Amino acid sequence: MTSSAISLTEVSKFYKYYEKEFDRVREILSGSPRYQKIHALKPVSLQVKKGEVLGVIGQNGAGKSTLLKVLARTLLPSTGEIEINGRVAALLELGASFHPEMSGHENVYLSCAIQGLSRKEIDSVYDEIVDFAGIGEFIHRPVKTYSSGMFVRLAFAIATHIDPEILIIDEALSVGDGAFSRKSFDRIMDFKSEGKTILFCSHSMYQVEALCDRVVWLEAGDVKKIGDPVEVITQYSELMRMSAPKEESLDTANEEEQEEFEKDVEVKSVTAIPRILEVKVRVGDKTGQVHKIVSEESDLEITVIFDKGEGVPLASVAVAFSGGDGRILTSAGSVHDGVILSVNEQGQGVAKILFPDLALLRGNYYLNIALLCEKGIHLYEAIRRAAEIHVEQKGLERGFVKLPHQWIS
Amino acid sequence: MNFIQAYSRNIFNGLLVPIKSVAGSWSLFSILVKRDIVNRTSGTVLGKLWPVVQPTLQILGYWFLFDIVFSMRASRGPNYLEYLLTGMMPWICVSEILNRSTNMFREFSSLYRRNPFPLEILPLLIMAIPCMVYGAVYFILNLFLGGLDKAFISLLVMPMLMLWLLPLCLLLPVLGLFIKDFTQAIPFLLMITMFLTPILYFPSMLPEGMQQIIWINPFSDLMVVIHGLVQGGDYSWLNIVRPFVIWLFLLGPSWLVFKRSIPHIREVL
Repeated sequence: MTSSAISLTEVSKFYKYYEKEFDRVREILSGSPRYQKIHALKPVSLQVKKGEVLGVIGQNGAGKSTLLKVLARTLLPSTGEIEINGRVAALLELGASFHPEMSGHENVYLSCAIQGLSRKEIDSVYDEIVDFAGIGEFIHRPVKTYSSGMFVRLAFAIATHIDPEILIIDEALSVGDGAFSRKSFDRIMDFKSEGKTILFCSHSMYQVEALCDRVVWLEAGDVKKIGDPVEVITQYSELMRMSAPKEESLDTANEEEQEEFEKDVEVKSVTAIPRILEVKVRVGDKTGQVHKIVSEESDLEITVIFDKGEGVPLASVAVAFSGGDGRILTSAGSVHDGVILSVNEQGQGVAKILFPDLALLRGNYYLNIALLCEKGIHLYEAIRRAAEIHVEQKGLERGFVKLPHQWIS
Repeated sequence: MNFIQAYSRNIFNGLLVPIKSVAGSWSLFSILVKRDIVNRTSGTVLGKLWPVVQPTLQILGYWFLFDIVFSMRASRGPNYLEYLLTGMMPWICVSEILNRSTNMFREFSSLYRRNPFPLEILPLLIMAIPCMVYGAVYFILNLFLGGLDKAFISLLVMPMLMLWLLPLCLLLPVLGLFIKDFTQAIPFLLMITMFLTPILYFPSMLPEGMQQIIWINPFSDLMVVIHGLVQGGDYSWLNIVRPFVIWLFLLGPSWLVFKRSIPHIREVL
């Protein structure tokens, strides 16, 4: 019995460019090549063990999506051998095979049949799919009458109920809004805890590091590095910082970094439950959204009150300080600090964090708040620039933060 | 020798792979047949009757023109209306299949562009619905015209056509996808082929010089065989051998072209 879920041997993908479109026809008829190669994925050899969670990172155009599509068998590789042991569910383009005129019921059967399920197998999972999608009587109406939320719920339910051994995820760890977003996230986490093999492609280094056992970094269609998530992500993030042009695009590069903190891949709307009710920022005896503080002298206290929602474990909270250019300077999260938040008399969740003698150096900073699931991965809500902090300092130190230190003589 | 082996293998695969593929994806195939019917009839008042009403109206039109207006009659053999119906129904089926085949890859692109999908089932899929619908109508028609025996024999016609059309249904979708002009030309080519096939007229009605020319067209042989089977008309082994040789000649290369085009199809769309 093989322990590999996926085995790639020198798998590459290039797209064919023809100077004249008719050259393609001549090639098909004659069998002799008439194209120029445009490489999307250079030869890759890779083994993914059963039960492993493999992260795929890289900049746009690095070949991540091509790799996932090749593994999902929606693209044929140009060279190499692929061995896949087990049924694959790809959360790449949900609902792509739906027929708008057919009912949800018929589309369940169609989509499952495309994934290779027999009628009997579809019959056995049908009720579970409908129940999970939660679209009630709409299941008998044409999918063209569905809202976009219902459409994606049904598509997600189908994709994750075909009993896959391998799950391919492109960016989104959850789909839909509100309660379904959490439900879909739980479903994916269940796959992980059941020991299914997962390929997870994302721009969120935070999520990749939190979930993956191993990470492959693609650059210009080639494997740049593969290995331990912390090691690979550290090098990748460093390169991203260094390669960001200094002047005009600094804001853009750091914008992305800040968004990564707040969006957890996709920003959820405020309809998501649980949700933030109030953020109080206090310096000394003053509360408000704009504060002036003195470096190493002022205490900063942040209180987040949130609706804890229903039927979900108590959420966690993270705070992050960012500079004016959007770059996150430091952050703290209740999950990572091992803190279980409390519930007040009104049944609301409360998170309180104190930064004594805040050691930020001179400059303007912003406070960002995120309400996350109990694992600190799935984002319910984020408030960007919840407060503004102007820091003054007495000394002449330069930079963003003063680290604890001592001179040894 | 290698050429003959390769040619034979392509003929064998051209026949077997699509059939095996359908058998292996039977659940998917049957759902797609249903989807096809929904596609055709949704939003119409007559709904699922349309696949039957449409060819009936078409035949009524031809009957009115040639039987009533032109008063066409044969010197011997079956009456003209029976003759017309016997040939026209299979031709409408053939015409619909070939017309659709040129657009096949575009029509079904939503199914295979983002999903692993056995493309080999598509040629049989586009043949299945017309053959089923027209086969049923043809059976009922021949039940009225010639009784139960003839009706049962007529059941052979559509599967026979389906088998014969397989090479064209492998080749035309590829040509239709990569040479767009081909899609535009096909209705005209089908119309000319119909005029060169003894459907609206008896072969004996043609001037003597023309009578040999129509046998260049394999559909003429097929039509004579159909009339022979269903109406007891004359046909020779030559009418069977000629289309069979053409079928053998086309199937291998058609399969090869179909197979070679598969990696290109998703890229083009």
